[in-house]
Amino acid sequence: MSTAYALPKDLSRATVVNTASLIRIVALSLISGAAIASRLFAVINFESIIHEFDPWFNYRATRVLASKGFYEFWNWFDPTAWYPLGRVVGGTIYPGLMATSGVIYNVLHYFNLPVDIRNICVLLAPGFSALTAWATYMFTKELKDESAGLLAAAFIGIVPGYISRSVAGSYDNEAIAIFLLMFTFYLWIKALKAGSAFFGTCAAVFYFYMVAAWGGYAFITNMIPVHAMVLILMGRYSSRLYVAYSSWYAVGTLSSMQVPFVGFQPVRTSEHMAALGVFGLLQIIAFAQLVRSHVSSKQFNNLLFYGVIVLGVGGVGAVVGLTYAGWIAPWTGRFYSLWDTGYAKKYIPIIASVSEHQPTAWPSFFMDLQLLVFLFPAGVVLCFKELRDEHVFVIIYAIVASYFAGVMVRLMLTLTPCVCVASAIALSTLMDTYIDPVQPEADEDETAQSDAGDSVSGSSATGSISGAAPKKAKKLAAAAVAAPPSANPLAELVGAATGGPRMKKGVWGFDTRFTVLLHTFGMLAFFVMHCTYVTSSAYSSPSVVLASTSPDGSPHIIDDFREAYYWLRQNTKEDAVVMSWWDYGYQIAGMADRPTLVDNNTWNNTHIATVGKAMSSSEEVAYPILRAHDVDYVLVIFGGLLGYSGDDINKFLWMIRIAQGVWPEEVQEANYFTPGGEYRVDERASKIMKESLMYKMSYYRFTELYGANPAQDRVRQQTIPKPSPTLDYLDEAFTSENWIVRIYQVKKEDHLGRDIKSANAFEGGKKRKRGRPAVGRRRAMQ
Amino acid sequence: MLLPSLLSLLLLPSPAVLAVANFENTAVVRSIELSGTLTHVATTYAAKALVGNVKTYSIALPRLEKERTSFFEVKVKGQNVPLKAEFDWDSFKARDYDVLRVTLPEPLSVGATMNLVLETVQTRASRPWPEKASQTETQSLKYDFSLFVISPYETLVQRTKVKLPHPEVHSFTQPKDVSQWAQDDAASHIGNVITYGPFRNFAPSASDVFDEQQTMQIHYPYEYPLVEIASYHRHAEVSHWGANLNIDDNIHLRNVGPELRGHFSRLEHQKQAYSTKRVSHIIPGMVLHLPAGISNVYYYDLIGNVSTSHLRTAPAPAKRDARNKQYSTLEMRPRYPMLGGWNYTFTLGWDSNLADYAGWDTTKSKYVLEVPLMTFVPSSVYTEASISVVLPEGATDVEYFPPFAPETQSVDTLKTYLDTTGRPRITLAYKNLTDRHALGTIHVTYRVPFLAHLKKPIAVSIAFMLFFALGLVGRRVNLELHSAPGLKQKTL
Repeated sequence: MSTAYALPKDLSRATVVNTASLIRIVALSLISGAAIASRLFAVINFESIIHEFDPWFNYRATRVLASKGFYEFWNWFDPTAWYPLGRVVGGTIYPGLMATSGVIYNVLHYFNLPVDIRNICVLLAPGFSALTAWATYMFTKELKDESAGLLAAAFIGIVPGYISRSVAGSYDNEAIAIFLLMFTFYLWIKALKAGSAFFGTCAAVFYFYMVAAWGGYAFITNMIPVHAMVLILMGRYSSRLYVAYSSWYAVGTLSSMQVPFVGFQPVRTSEHMAALGVFGLLQIIAFAQLVRSHVSSKQFNNLLFYGVIVLGVGGVGAVVGLTYAGWIAPWTGRFYSLWDTGYAKKYIPIIASVSEHQPTAWPSFFMDLQLLVFLFPAGVVLCFKELRDEHVFVIIYAIVASYFAGVMVRLMLTLTPCVCVASAIALSTLMDTYIDPVQPEADEDETAQSDAGDSVSGSSATGSISGAAPKKAKKLAAAAVAAPPSANPLAELVGAATGGPRMKKGVWGFDTRFTVLLHTFGMLAFFVMHCTYVTSSAYSSPSVVLASTSPDGSPHIIDDFREAYYWLRQNTKEDAVVMSWWDYGYQIAGMADRPTLVDNNTWNNTHIATVGKAMSSSEEVAYPILRAHDVDYVLVIFGGLLGYSGDDINKFLWMIRIAQGVWPEEVQEANYFTPGGEYRVDERASKIMKESLMYKMSYYRFTELYGANPAQDRVRQQTIPKPSPTLDYLDEAFTSENWIVRIYQVKKEDHLGRDIKSANAFEGGKKRKRGRPAVGRRRAMQ
Repeated sequence: MLLPSLLSLLLLPSPAVLAVANFENTAVVRSIELSGTLTHVATTYAAKALVGNVKTYSIALPRLEKERTSFFEVKVKGQNVPLKAEFDWDSFKARDYDVLRVTLPEPLSVGATMNLVLETVQTRASRPWPEKASQTETQSLKYDFSLFVISPYETLVQRTKVKLPHPEVHSFTQPKDVSQWAQDDAASHIGNVITYGPFRNFAPSASDVFDEQQTMQIHYPYEYPLVEIASYHRHAEVSHWGANLNIDDNIHLRNVGPELRGHFSRLEHQKQAYSTKRVSHIIPGMVLHLPAGISNVYYYDLIGNVSTSHLRTAPAPAKRDARNKQYSTLEMRPRYPMLGGWNYTFTLGWDSNLADYAGWDTTKSKYVLEVPLMTFVPSSVYTEASISVVLPEGATDVEYFPPFAPETQSVDTLKTYLDTTGRPRITLAYKNLTDRHALGTIHVTYRVPFLAHLKKPIAVSIAFMLFFALGLVGRRVNLELHSAPGLKQKTL
């Protein structure tokens, strides 16, 4: 028996087991800590604030839930959204996120811990990321062992692909959904392995939680049936599969239908038909198995086999038929856009206008996953090597999620856990191989290796969190699992390994091991650095406040959004309706607390198109639209002064496109380009462009700021022609410090019944063609 | 109700009482200092006793003036101790003046003289005129007051000086038909002072028959914004475990200058930064003085941190007496410049060392706590203010001494931060607080029994023990119907 480095000889089995367990717990706590800490950049660099757009709605809904209770929340009709339509909030959201925060809030307040609901919302995502790490650990443990589990937990804890949606303040459904996804998958694997109805039901309960939390639940709804189907096709049907699947499907589907937003979708839409079909197929197969166990004729079995196929095909046919007959809703547009990336651009511009619905750019795979990108295929290959039921699951997951991640940026999120799991399997296998002290047969002398062995463990202890703890734990865990009770379990393990068939191939010597492991740790260290860097620089900006540096180099915060929203909140009438592009609807509702025409819940395309039309038409056309919708204020985002590129002029083409979709005669995209087909805002801009409300509101009095110098738009690097556009139907009401937010008040109809344009001309002292009667009337009024 | 009616029986013929003059005012000088929302009025009465052994002196205030007055103090000139002064109970009668009865420090003998000074602060006595102004226009205020200082006693000579913030004045009213008291020009404007009077040989004017009173009006430009704190809530929480006094102020700021006519233009606002002529009625921000030695200062509004504000903290003073001399400075800038009629709400809070505010009174063996009444925003009026002081859980024998009589006061229990029985909370409500109230402190004395200190740790440990006990039991209860050999669940 030869080992590459000396092993301690005086350890009892219990010591090894306990130490391994302790180290695992410590490692998991450290991983949780790292996962939470790495998400706090936004809080430390800025403040405890809700980020971006959708989270503001979730936050607002949570406040309603926390202050008014669950029933009020359930029946909440929000008259301020989608003015004048309103929105049935309780029935059009996934309430899981708000319910989670509400429960946490109530528990804390029950114990008289006065934690602000905002802080709960801000810190919910980091907290759940720790749970995700744990769920991933449990999942990976089922696939390989604890050490791979710890690696996977560490990966998922800090990988940017997941952090991007779960930094502190990013209070969105995804914050809790990834934990639920992983935990449901873990419970499914567990149920499948043991054929346990208990775990199947648990999986169903967490599936229900997932349905209540995120629209992406359809991913589970289809992943599990596909897995079951593949297992059947591989000839791996078993009563375990039957029990697990049936308990999951029956309980899961029934409970998921309790969510009002989901309702009867699980039995009436195409997205859910795969699950139903596989459920039916399993019943048929189970029945066939039952019959087969009673009848032993081979022909009969064959017949039955074909009968199963015929029934299956018939079932699929029935589903298709029902779809055509209208009983089952066909695939929705969002699903079509998953298969045809050009679909959304052609038919549903609203979906296409969202940046996170764009196809993923290749560099973002590396940015979000770094070294996991190339460990991931290796892990999948290793799954093929073992190919138990759960490995089949990971393989399917890997294939499906890889495809989706390539189609849509935001679906990178569903790929990330799978990548972490597969990479952990690959890396853990690599480390198993090289940490294993057993030498192959034709060994050389093993002198002077012992102190080097110490240095390996030393390097592991000082290495990164992701590397150190799992490796050590693995070493001890492997020993703990394999060794019989004896004075030296590690030696026993080595003895057992070398006592088997003599190995001809393997790893010789300590130097080889050391080199490979050093390299591995180096990669892991770089991974940690990369994750930290990406998280801090790319994913930790609240986008409500912008960071910049003042001339003396000190950090400076550009806070125009909150300035304008708070001005609206404090100094306008409480029922003043604010019109803006839908991106800012949730923020206005959350921060300014004013009714909005459209918001980020883009359920009514026509309403959005109306806003788009008002923005893209001339004042004369837009004014009746504004008045018809009781609009008091119009809010535009203008980045031209500061160089903030996410402004409304840059989004203007989408407004035009969406408006054109509803009013193709009145709004035409081509009219907003120069004759040369360029999108410009300088003097070459088309007349329609210059007369559009959006253009006028953006550049109103902009050139005056520059005095005699040419007015430079810093986003588009173009010179704005003088004089600035004038507004007849709107008054500038507020402009923020850096001109990012500009708010205009819509004039009411003239008191004297004149049209506003001539009234303005009169006020401005310009002579009207038939001036005298107007003058006389005005004097009479005074 | 019985007591006042008895008193009224005793004192019923009050005009008669006033008619029997105890005093004669040899000279009355009133000086009015106009400064935006607050107007400081100091009236000096040089009085001569006509009868012996009089203990009270009556000061009459016109009803309008009394309603504006939020603070008054009567002192003997040159002394610092305020005298006891109370409004007469029969002020409720339908008269257009109220009588303030001042208890003199010692009874005066016949012919003795003394100088009494009545200092009052009037709130919102000046109002913007014109009531609306555009962003670039200047601000002017109007102040009106009654020409004569009325008194139940005969006044030999009286005069009123109005101090303006600026020599310039738009207009001021000339008194009419005053020839019986004054010889020449009754009103004159020199520098930044407008003088009315002197008016000589004034009969007792605080009576129902006097109807010569005139209302004077001064229209003057004012170059500073008018700030009002529409509501102010202070929450002071004492923690003995943390040796900490946390103060949390909820402030609703309002610009009560002329209302903005038209709209706010950022362009004009940014242009003004380069022009020499400052626009007076815009509040760009304010400098607040916070105590020295504070930590964890926060200033946020309903949607987060007010990133436009900055703080400079001063270290804690070495000696306790030095506290008022040093202060931390908060450059409080609202998110947007506040134009006329605009509002801004924010929250300001900090932690400070409890030792700076509380001590142990060995004679009574009680804790003594001293909580400042408010954070003062310069030259502003606090329309509604409530101050609550939260004592440690289990505090007993709570006594409190407000610096000024509050409108309402209450003591209740507040449950917060892992409390089991709750903490006593004292709440005082005030109206129209001014700079004269700014230095007031609420004194609270209380005891905290030793066991009350331990209440929280005990409660928390019991809760954790219960939790662990449940865990202990839960892990040892086997709910499996039959043991499946393959299902041995391996735990972490």
